[in-house]
Amino acid sequence: MDLQLSPDDLAFRDEVRAFLRENLTPEVVYRSHTEVHPPNEEDRRWWNSVLNRKGWAAPSLPVEYGGTGWSPIRRGIFERECRLAGAPELRWQGLRLIGPVICEFGSEDQKKRYIPPILEGTEQWAQGFSEPGAGSDLASLKSTAILDGDKYIVNGQKIWTTEAGYSELGFFLVRTDTTSKHGGISMIIIDMSSPGITVRPIEMINGDPSTFEVFLDNVEVPRENLIGEPGTAWQQTKFLLANERTSSADIDKAYGDLRRIRAIARREHKNGRPLIEDPGFRQRLTQLELEVEALEWSVLRVLCNAPSHHPSAASASVLKIKGSDLQHKLTKLATDALGPRALRLYTREQAFNAQISALWPGYVPGVTHDMLYMRACSIYGGSREIQKNIIAKIAFAM
Amino acid sequence: MDFALTDEQKMLADGAARYVRERCDLESRRKAAASEDGFSRRHWRHFADQGWLALTLPEAAGGLEMTVEDMSILVEELGRGLVCEPLVDSAVTCAHLLSASGSEAARAILADIATGEAIVTLAHLEEGDHSEYDAPVASRAERIDDGWTLSGTKTCVFYGASATHFVVSARNNGDDGYGLFLVAADADGIRREGYSLIDGTRAADVHFDNVRVPASALLHEPATAATVLESALDRAVVIFGAGVVGSMEAVLELTSEYLKTREQYGKPLASFQALKHRMSEMLVETEQARSALYSALAAIDSDDGQRRRRAISGAKALIAQSGHFVIGEGIQLHGGIGVTEEYAVGHHFKALIVYDKRFGDSDFHIERCGQIPAEEPQAP
Repeated sequence: MDLQLSPDDLAFRDEVRAFLRENLTPEVVYRSHTEVHPPNEEDRRWWNSVLNRKGWAAPSLPVEYGGTGWSPIRRGIFERECRLAGAPELRWQGLRLIGPVICEFGSEDQKKRYIPPILEGTEQWAQGFSEPGAGSDLASLKSTAILDGDKYIVNGQKIWTTEAGYSELGFFLVRTDTTSKHGGISMIIIDMSSPGITVRPIEMINGDPSTFEVFLDNVEVPRENLIGEPGTAWQQTKFLLANERTSSADIDKAYGDLRRIRAIARREHKNGRPLIEDPGFRQRLTQLELEVEALEWSVLRVLCNAPSHHPSAASASVLKIKGSDLQHKLTKLATDALGPRALRLYTREQAFNAQISALWPGYVPGVTHDMLYMRACSIYGGSREIQKNIIAKIAFAM
Repeated sequence: MDFALTDEQKMLADGAARYVRERCDLESRRKAAASEDGFSRRHWRHFADQGWLALTLPEAAGGLEMTVEDMSILVEELGRGLVCEPLVDSAVTCAHLLSASGSEAARAILADIATGEAIVTLAHLEEGDHSEYDAPVASRAERIDDGWTLSGTKTCVFYGASATHFVVSARNNGDDGYGLFLVAADADGIRREGYSLIDGTRAADVHFDNVRVPASALLHEPATAATVLESALDRAVVIFGAGVVGSMEAVLELTSEYLKTREQYGKPLASFQALKHRMSEMLVETEQARSALYSALAAIDSDDGQRRRRAISGAKALIAQSGHFVIGEGIQLHGGIGVTEEYAVGHHFKALIVYDKRFGDSDFHIERCGQIPAEEPQAP
């Protein structure tokens, strides 16, 4: 075993830091650190193009399609540094989910058409998987795409389609063969401005619409928008998920959260002393710091394909359970640190515009918002309970 | 970064796994626990034959100069089999204290540790102490013409009644810190009162009444003793931690097998979702413990004392916490048989409690971590 970062990786980290220092502005950094969901869309698109000029926009893509060729460790370093420096979080649907799928399964025409705007950030994507009757049980989805000459006619309803309201394109799971229960599911690319598409925001407990309902009513989609052969969506979906084995750990966000909690606790007071010196608070904070540090090692083990005592296919679920549990605890501790000031409801505009008055310093907005938003993290992407079923099956054959 | 075991490490792990499989059944462990030593002399000889006692010792003493990481890999496997011999106490903790000393006497004993002839244990805790890491030490060392006399009472001296030598902490009048002394267990003025511990091993209270030792018995001066002791304890904490991770893995295996075999209401327990979910939670916690172990292994040789202290204390706290959950739930999922003496899961639980209470418990180590500022990530 060699448990240290190599000098080359450390030099790479310095290079990333220097680049971030030169290219980020204080306004953008403030908005990113505020943790309002969804983040500022203009910032994200701008940053996508800045990174593309450097050739760093798409670490998830193969090198021949504009990827970086970094090792998993370097990708991890890059993402950590970006997060802590306050770089806008790039939209992941195009760069991390459908981009790699198109490179792997798409036609040459699809690659030419869709990959360059993904790299530049000019076309953003929505992921249309869940339906009202198909949440964790994706196999029971009902949306259909029926071939009619050189086009598919798509009908159905999608829900929890993150950021669909401001995305140019979407990739959807649809049933192209309506005769079988499990087969016949295909992945298809749909222009979100097509006639017959209605997108409706879902109001969430954190106040802002980051997720949407999408109604598909006789939407005409060119036949060549289907990815791969009809009925092969499971293979593509599996590939898509396998690319994202560690992201559900949310490890970069967790480190950002810890830093924010410490910053708040240095400024807030309890019994006339800085909160950070309160033994009870310190104990909770330290416990979380240690669990985050351990989770970091769990992520590193997966990134490095460490030999495992248990089937490695279970590791994404293990990371997700721990990562979402820590998100709940971290965001709660952050609101606890604010005391009653955690209760103020900020508009998006207020939150992104630094401090309102001395009574409401810049570290207040976003904290409670983030806590409310993060209640969803143990639900989306396969709920915690589903993850436990998966682990029992894969690791223990139960 | 690379987590794959080297060929040498694989051989070590395989050898230990085979030994555990073939020789370490629960019945013989219980028999060893009932013996005078609280462990098996037969196992002990085998450890010496395998070179396990010499693993981390310096070459000059017949050692193999392997690393803490190597020893952890060995002890993880032994932990699966509830191995209870004084391997870490003698061949890691005290061996480190001896090899870090320039003293001639130390070198001779090291060679005997490698062969298993010597069993050396730390006599450090005194009445009221909770952790070896912050024991104040009231025992006295007084200078006489040709050496020292030691007086005081040490408690929770692990394997104290079977040890051939002690490393004893004692304070000289006027010195700021304490020194560490090597003392033969049969020296005049030593009285030992042995007792059993919950896991079947044994410890002793050791009374030192004007015990005369030569000048060469001083292994570490007060100026350096605390630092060297800390690094010896760090090694013990990490390596014992690996044993607990092995215990947790064994309990996962035992429990999942049991759930598939045992039937209630006409179907295997493994088909009940509440129990599947509990097994999954146990795996999540086991993986956390293993990661905490790696975090500690990555820092064990660091020159940055703050980083090392944080990683070691963090691992100690998390491994004990996760272990308590995993092994405790292992008992729960077994139902009645889980709390019986004839079944292994309860023995794993007791071994875990011993780990938790040694070297400071989770509360102690979390507080200790909290006193070290977390590394503030750099913002550009």
